[in-house]
Amino acid sequence: MKSLRLCLLVLSFTTLASAGDNEFRGVVHAIEGHYGVRHMHIPLLGFALWFARPEGMSGMKLAVFENFSGSTDADDVSRIVEDALGHEWYPFVRVYSRNRVKGDDEATLIYASPSGGKLRMMIVNVESTEATVVEVKLSDRAIRQWLKEPGEEAEGHAGPLRHRDAD
Amino acid sequence: MMKLKMKTILWLLPLLVSTALTRAQDLKIPPNIESLSAKAKETVEVTMDGPMLRWASKFLSADDPDEEKAAKLVANLKSIYVRSFEFDKDGAYSMADVDALRAQFHSPVWSRVVGVRSDHDGDNVDVYFKLENDKMAGIVVIAAEARELTFVNIVGPLEVDQLADLGGEFGVPKFDRKSLKHATKADKDYAAKADKDKDKDKEKDKEEQK
Repeated sequence: MKSLRLCLLVLSFTTLASAGDNEFRGVVHAIEGHYGVRHMHIPLLGFALWFARPEGMSGMKLAVFENFSGSTDADDVSRIVEDALGHEWYPFVRVYSRNRVKGDDEATLIYASPSGGKLRMMIVNVESTEATVVEVKLSDRAIRQWLKEPGEEAEGHAGPLRHRDAD
Repeated sequence: MMKLKMKTILWLLPLLVSTALTRAQDLKIPPNIESLSAKAKETVEVTMDGPMLRWASKFLSADDPDEEKAAKLVANLKSIYVRSFEFDKDGAYSMADVDALRAQFHSPVWSRVVGVRSDHDGDNVDVYFKLENDKMAGIVVIAAEARELTFVNIVGPLEVDQLADLGGEFGVPKFDRKSLKHATKADKDYAAKADKDKDKDKEKDKEEQK
């Protein structure tokens, strides 16, 4: 009986993990399919993310696309991402930046999936030459911070996440 | 045949106009706000609606008095939309842009509250509230500074002076409580005057029909 319970527990965790994986993979595949790019293979990425994860975030998944040359239009990107995500994901924050000097635009889209006391976030950042998809789980403290200042948190996290891990 | 078509159009016209008016009254984000995005250095959009908002209300801490107040308010709200535009120089957007935004709220259900000041230096803050069956049904805030323009639409029951409790959460700017208290008196006077005007208009219509 004990082993059956253990089996059920393991199975339920596996299902949850795989559902989360599917959504992340779905977004990555949608970007690959739409823009005709492949995400970079980064050796020991999981190990590196465990050490390099920002405060208050866990369960991080990351995909980086280099030599990206797609549209940075936030509406275009959100259409692709929303088609790939399930109904339990809600649009939360969108940041669109223009650098007129460099002629470089950047779109950051954040989708949230609240469940119980947890919040998962899918962060999609698209620049003229690079794109990043990040999925994270937020700690209680981080959730409070995000609910207080969603715009500022989005501005502060999207860029550094990408540059830290791409290095 | 032509007459029949004309008649159909005339019959349909009021229906189409009323549908358009209802849409204008229910708008979440004014359509012309997107034109500002093209002029802005940075655009931030925060959307909190439906299950996300209900979830957030449960999450706000009961230990923190400010968060507790905000949680009670948020639990009754339908949605919060924030659009914030940051510009790289003064005058990057014109007053005509702001007026076009304000014009969206020149409809019978919306009333403007004057004299609300934001906590950080901006004097140019317009607050509009929506009355439905004599109850507050929403608040719109347009805060214009030299290099920043913020548009907030809060859908649901909320008094103007309660804006201060929500300020600082979900990207809603902070407000000066004192000016909101003055505004509350002003909005009640304004609403009372608007109701009187509406009654007068109705009486006029009746007399004209006679």
